[in-house]
Amino acid sequence: MAMKGVNAFEVAQAQFDKVAAILDLDPATRELLRWPLREHSFAIPVRMDDGRVRVFRGFRVQHNDARGPSKGGIRFHPQETLDTVRALATWMTWKCAVVDIPLGGGKGGVICDPHHLSQREQELICRGWVRQLARSVGPFQDVPAPDVMTSGQHMLWMLDEFEAIHGGHYPGFITGKPVGMGGSEGRTEATGYGVVFTIREALKELGLDVKATRASVQGFGNVAQYAIRLYTQIGGTVTCVACWDEADQTAYSFRRESGVDVDELVSISDRFGGIDRAKAKALGYEVLPGDAWLEQPVEILVPAALENQIRADNAPKIHAKVKLFAEGANGPTTPDADAILQEKGVFVVPDFLANAGGVTCSYFEQVQSNMNFYWEKDEVLARLDTKMTAAFHAVSELARKRKLFMRDAAYVIAINRVAQACRDRGWV
Amino acid sequence: MSATVEDVPRFERRLFDPARRISRIGEGSLGGKARGLVTAARILRERRADLDVPGLSLDVPALCAVSTSVFDAFLDRNGLGPLLAEEPSDAVIALAFQKATLPAEWLGDLRSLAEDARVPLACRSSSALEDALGRPFAGVYGTKMIPGTPPDVAGRFKALVDAVKFVFATTFFHEARAYRRAVGELKEPERMAVVVQEVVGRRHGERFYPDLSGVARSYNFYPVAPAEPREGVVDLALGLGKTIVDGGRCWSFSPAHPKRPPPVGSVRDLVDVTQSRFWAVNVGPPPPYDPMTETEYLVHPHLAEAEADGTLRYAASTYDAGSDRLVPGTGRPGPRVLDFAPILSWNELPLVPALRRLLEVCEEEIEAPVEIEFALSLPPARPARLGFLQVRPLLVSHETEEVTADDLASPRAVVSSSHALGNGRHEVRDAVYVEPEAFEARLTPAVADEIEGLNRTLVEAGRPYLLVGFGRWGSSDPWLGIPVRWDQISGARGIVEATLPQMNPEPSQGAHFFHNLTSFSVLYLTVPFGTGRGVDWGWLESQELVARTAHVRHVRTQAPLVLRVDGRSRRGVAWTTGAA
Repeated sequence: MAMKGVNAFEVAQAQFDKVAAILDLDPATRELLRWPLREHSFAIPVRMDDGRVRVFRGFRVQHNDARGPSKGGIRFHPQETLDTVRALATWMTWKCAVVDIPLGGGKGGVICDPHHLSQREQELICRGWVRQLARSVGPFQDVPAPDVMTSGQHMLWMLDEFEAIHGGHYPGFITGKPVGMGGSEGRTEATGYGVVFTIREALKELGLDVKATRASVQGFGNVAQYAIRLYTQIGGTVTCVACWDEADQTAYSFRRESGVDVDELVSISDRFGGIDRAKAKALGYEVLPGDAWLEQPVEILVPAALENQIRADNAPKIHAKVKLFAEGANGPTTPDADAILQEKGVFVVPDFLANAGGVTCSYFEQVQSNMNFYWEKDEVLARLDTKMTAAFHAVSELARKRKLFMRDAAYVIAINRVAQACRDRGWV
Repeated sequence: MSATVEDVPRFERRLFDPARRISRIGEGSLGGKARGLVTAARILRERRADLDVPGLSLDVPALCAVSTSVFDAFLDRNGLGPLLAEEPSDAVIALAFQKATLPAEWLGDLRSLAEDARVPLACRSSSALEDALGRPFAGVYGTKMIPGTPPDVAGRFKALVDAVKFVFATTFFHEARAYRRAVGELKEPERMAVVVQEVVGRRHGERFYPDLSGVARSYNFYPVAPAEPREGVVDLALGLGKTIVDGGRCWSFSPAHPKRPPPVGSVRDLVDVTQSRFWAVNVGPPPPYDPMTETEYLVHPHLAEAEADGTLRYAASTYDAGSDRLVPGTGRPGPRVLDFAPILSWNELPLVPALRRLLEVCEEEIEAPVEIEFALSLPPARPARLGFLQVRPLLVSHETEEVTADDLASPRAVVSSSHALGNGRHEVRDAVYVEPEAFEARLTPAVADEIEGLNRTLVEAGRPYLLVGFGRWGSSDPWLGIPVRWDQISGARGIVEATLPQMNPEPSQGAHFFHNLTSFSVLYLTVPFGTGRGVDWGWLESQELVARTAHVRHVRTQAPLVLRVDGRSRRGVAWTTGAA
């Protein structure tokens, strides 16, 4: 899934180069961290339901595992490219490092469109993917997870294949499993809640009372829904939500000044997170163009949909009231839009910090699976809060001390931790 | 008592932050108990110079109040309302609460609290209703002690979370509902805060407990000559204060006459009526997992264990059977008597002057008679630590209700007492009494159950009544009296503590049970054995019988029965308005 006109891996490398200069990293470390440690590219032949054999292309990129087993999702997407997977694996390395969990970064994918595949065909792709990589992945090497168009069901097929090959039970091989089948309580909420934990801490830094704040959110998928839910529960008001309309192939914003009701919106949304416009109007929501969410007079903006949504062309429309920008999505802001946010003095919680709740909870799932002992939800969410809050404060403290933009401060912490691990291991 | 939630700083993820000994998690009310502690801390801060006693270090132990907003969100997000509306059993409520999840936004704070606290913690209920009404609901809701000993944060966090949920659950337990129903507050939704506070004490092997704990009141409802009501009264117990709260055996004295023993028949009797067991936090190997029980992490050992711990040093004397007297200390073999003589008679620790000052200062600050709770720890080679655990106003009514000596002797006085508690009058048409002929001390638990059933019927019918029985009402020791809980007698407007030769303990000295009685203007008439007219059993028997159980009768009086207590003279009568 290439970004339009942008090579994601080149963006990732450019970000790295900027921070490597701040850290004054030596050439060998730069060379090591600019590129993945290992890349697997392979064919997955599958006998389709119609009897023909079709060959799918699969990838697994292990960017860096100096701090622990690689961790990252598996994406099923027709526009998947190796460079996208490389970029995402690199970002996973930094994400794990910034929240200080002992994991490295990885990412995988298969070029396919699950919309046009039967369940059986998808199962065979999953099993084929594991067969190709069975000796290069595992609880102590590389731990996959669900990602774009993959789910807990896909993870269970992969786990079953892995266990069949290795002859034992290894629930820590993969995360994102359903609760009761080795999954963790709290995983569904984790990313959205994590976003709100960082918002809560950022508001303290900014001296704002959450009850006096309003927010506008892009996206109405899992991350956005749980973020809206918790933010509302702690006293904030979400006045606008934007989401994609599958039928119209465009986005709309739904605004209600008195605040949106997440349960109400869920009850009128489809399985892709698209909200029914007619029903929304009946419930008192204004239906506005897709970009309207960005222009709202609110204190907080939460992009929680796709990458490259805030660009140089629309960033100037951000309202002067906006004080905080918490990136629930991966890569929602282009570098030139980032510069505009800096100019406006908006406090940014960067994506790989704000949305790290997901991978943090995946790490918890792996720990629980390896122990074969599962925690209660209180325990999971408390640990999540502790991790996210500690990570946020480490980044904001560095940003303050060294007068860095939050995104740069987060990268400095993450890259420095990984570089140090490489040095400690004697790699560089 | 004007502290508000805004006066208490937010918890900043350190319980023992020297700059924030008191903090809060969440918004909303902090409840009555937390408010009392905030007041205690303010008094200590503002009146430090008046309270300084050499050799004693006085402080309010570090605490964090989990506010009612956490409770509200817990009920709401876990959808517990429909279950609670069915008023299920306590066990069902406790289980549902344990299975529910605390609000996500506060879990990180609670985990940090558990991470920081490596000492036992007390998780006490702090009711918003009690705060709003200005009435203590002492002992109605749960308290849970947790050990703070698991080496892993996860273990400590789990114990803390379980304890908070348990205290939340007790808000809806049968006893609490009955209490609120009895005081006419059931329609008001109760909201619960939880005070999480460091337990004052020392570790002795697998036990952790204070060298003594106590409750002191600046007004004594039961003064024994030469003590005066205004001189106050102090109850002391070894170990955790649960002994006193539950109405167990403890040592009571007047701060003006600390050397004077309680009035017992003989010195030998002290062996039987003083404390023989104590409560401590279990800091040894984890007990069986039982999050639905208040005493999960408590132990209740015999005094011999305390002697082995060396904690009888300031607490005990020894009974010498040969001379029939008490010998101070534990230097010789013999039954131990917890009379706290080294402190009260020999002044080895300045506890009495410290308590006197504390009562005086608190009365001045609160402008009313007060009740305080405290615990004392005696760490070796350091000053003794006096933990100030609570201060609350005592309700003492001063409206005039005259009962003369002639009234006590009148044939209209169905019950006469010169040791009455409370002040005022109530009119009833029903009486529930334990039949003297059928009564035996060993039957008290069964009697309590029988009374509960009659009480329920009378409460549902909206009929207040007079309750007459033997021994200490509400005693946790069934051999000293009828071990009822408050909810089992919640409809009684007058209670008579009669005595029999075989059930003749010291009059009750105001555990939380009695605090509640007085707070809700229940009149309490003690009839010591062999004094005055006492109870006219014949008159009671002559009234119309409504119901009868194995040991208890419920009668309806032909004419209204007026219960009157004169708080100044401490005379009380149950006065029949019909033919005597």
